[in-house]
Amino acid sequence: MRAIQRAGQWVFLRVEAIFNLAFGDRLNPLYYLGPITYLLMWIVVGSGLYVYAFYKTGMAEAYASVEYLTVQQWWLGGVMRSVHRYASDAMALTMVLHLARHWMFDRYRGLRWFSWVSGVAVLWLVYVAGINGYMLPWDKMAQFVVIATAEWLDWLPVFNGTLVRNFILPENLNDRLFSLLSFIHIGVPLAVMALLWIHTQRVPQAKTSPPAPIAITLLAALVVLSLIKPALSQGEANLSHAVTVLDFDWFYLPVYALLYAWGAAPVWLLVAGGTVLLVALPWLPPRRRSAPVEGFHMLVRPDNRIIGVRDGETVLDAGLREGIAFPFECRNGGCGKCKADLAYGKAGLGAYQKSALSDEERAAGKVLLCCASPESDIQIEYLPQKTLGGIPARVWTASVESMEKLSSDVMRVFLKLDGGHRLAFYAGQYINVLLDNGEKRSFSFATAPHVNDRIELQIRRIPGGRFTTHVFERMKPGDPVRFEGPLGSFFLREEGGKPIIFVAGSTGFAPVKSMVEYAFHRNMRRRMILYWGVRSRRDLYLADLPRQWEKEHPEFRFVPVLSDPTPEDAWTGRTGLVHEAILADFPDLAQYQVYACGSVNMVEAAYPAFRTRGLSQDDCFSDAFRLAPKIRTGDTELVKLGGRA
Amino acid sequence: MNVLRCLLQLVLYVPLMALVGTLSSKPAFTHVPPEQALVRLSVVHAAQRKVECRTRTQEELAKLSPNMRAAQDCPRERAPLVVELDIDGSLVYRRIAAPAGITKDGAASVYYRMLVPARAHQVAARLRDGPGEGFNFRKDARIELAPGGSLLIDFNAAQGGFLFRN
Repeated sequence: MRAIQRAGQWVFLRVEAIFNLAFGDRLNPLYYLGPITYLLMWIVVGSGLYVYAFYKTGMAEAYASVEYLTVQQWWLGGVMRSVHRYASDAMALTMVLHLARHWMFDRYRGLRWFSWVSGVAVLWLVYVAGINGYMLPWDKMAQFVVIATAEWLDWLPVFNGTLVRNFILPENLNDRLFSLLSFIHIGVPLAVMALLWIHTQRVPQAKTSPPAPIAITLLAALVVLSLIKPALSQGEANLSHAVTVLDFDWFYLPVYALLYAWGAAPVWLLVAGGTVLLVALPWLPPRRRSAPVEGFHMLVRPDNRIIGVRDGETVLDAGLREGIAFPFECRNGGCGKCKADLAYGKAGLGAYQKSALSDEERAAGKVLLCCASPESDIQIEYLPQKTLGGIPARVWTASVESMEKLSSDVMRVFLKLDGGHRLAFYAGQYINVLLDNGEKRSFSFATAPHVNDRIELQIRRIPGGRFTTHVFERMKPGDPVRFEGPLGSFFLREEGGKPIIFVAGSTGFAPVKSMVEYAFHRNMRRRMILYWGVRSRRDLYLADLPRQWEKEHPEFRFVPVLSDPTPEDAWTGRTGLVHEAILADFPDLAQYQVYACGSVNMVEAAYPAFRTRGLSQDDCFSDAFRLAPKIRTGDTELVKLGGRA
Repeated sequence: MNVLRCLLQLVLYVPLMALVGTLSSKPAFTHVPPEQALVRLSVVHAAQRKVECRTRTQEELAKLSPNMRAAQDCPRERAPLVVELDIDGSLVYRRIAAPAGITKDGAASVYYRMLVPARAHQVAARLRDGPGEGFNFRKDARIELAPGGSLLIDFNAAQGGFLFRN
């Protein structure tokens, strides 16, 4: 069985890779088989309602009314009938593929049993509705289907040959039969829709509609197919003649072909046995229970939440179930949007496209949340794209409360939110100031989260910079400021006992101030060493503050480092690049955590050097560590650690 | 979106939709081959009671409670239905059908279908619906069956027994 599943995975991944080439990994229809089935259901319902508006439920009228739609109103009624047919056929196809994929990728056990079993029920109900639909036009196909269905059911002792008499004796057929068939054809799809809703209840944030481009393309393709090859009736039913040869729908009716090849009993055995097998599959071997009964636990960063991952659940599903804002798109290991760091523990990585997770990334501890399942307690770190810790990022309006020039090129600006609002954030996060022309400028919070009645920014003047020039030359108390925030996944980790080394470059001191003040407020007793690197003494615009911290908190130490001291500075302290000072002081960084807040160049220089000294990747904190390539392209929503022009 | 990608999408979409369009009607299914005809036998009939009603004696009636003193004792169980079908002198179907119901007092039913060559056939149907030997309903007729034709052998005791409908 595993060999079949592995072979199936191989086939699915290869075919999906080909589709990725054409559609891209975000719009690959094969990643949306479930949502596409939903969409097709709506198309079937919509087109069916139109056809039903013209359908006449009478012995004499049923065939004629469908023929009218097909022939005289071919341009709409005929298209609707054909779309109804082909969408139903496509639905059978996507449902079976959807089911097959979940089986191949072993996504039907544990917590997923409910979706699996309800999916099997949906499958059969769709078949009932589809087969029932073929009875309505009262053509030869309808004659065949009603009689074959009755003959099949008549094998059951409860009917025992009596049911078929309703359809082979003309005097037993009347208009009420068509009312009954119509009633079933409306009632069963309603049940399908209800069951579909139930089917997706246990799948957190299940998508029930594909992306618009897929939906539009699919609908257009169905219309084109309907125009090229309209669905037609096959001559009016005539009970005095046998049905001989039929244009057959192999999506819905193969069981009827088997009925006359094998007989009713083997087909009953196949259908009933197949259904029992499908329903029982989640509990049948080969069982891959690797988790304890209660499942594993997962620590999620930066949310700082510990959640349970149930047996059979992916990391993504567990997180979404608990309201973690994990990023995701295809959920099939194709797009890579849910890529995250496995900081601790073991996880099965599942089957995925190499383009979504390269071997190098895999070796570096990256996983795709939609494919990974824990094999021990784990720690996951991801980049929030919406919120951190459930704190929603939104646009705020504030006004400048006060301004203070801290040095020749650094301005401290206090903002007060309009309406007396308070903003919750994590120490280390940032805001984007929104400019009139739509541009944004990023600045870290310099205030600690517990001081949330005002926001302190430390803004360095960039020569020629539009916003910073405005701050230094025209901004005054009372001026309105619009900004969005809080943003960013760079924040102070409170747990753990490792000493912390803060590396601040220039106005990178701002987020450090927020984190250190918050640490003092929280009574954190961990040793903290701040290395603040600037060019000259005058750039240490708030040097008295860390010196004060040093006096008041024995666990805190401050090391200013000047890279280019002037003679007037009369500097006797440390000189050179700030990260080199750290390297000189700490031959072994294995037992430290490092928070780096400064220019990208500083971070990029420091990171590999620190790593050679034994600093764990899990103990390096800076958005720039992870997203330096993005920074270089200028495509960034990152904190610019102290601001930019 | 570049042209190459559009073309590739087309290359993938067209066969998919062609698959849907084709399998929705092709290949054709042959239910009754053109040179053949369909014969169906359908009988739903309540047979005679297995044991005749008899009149209770005065002694028997006296032993029953007053509200149960029916003059006739009629056991409910019906006899099984025996149905036979000959085509061109050969027995092609025989069935002994038990009456429906827990006490076997319901109608018995028989359904059988078969394909025969499309031409004239001598068709004989027999039915016994009571205890004893022999058949109390018979019909024998020569029936011309055209290609794709259909013969329905129905049974209605009130109309004299078998009805050949084609």
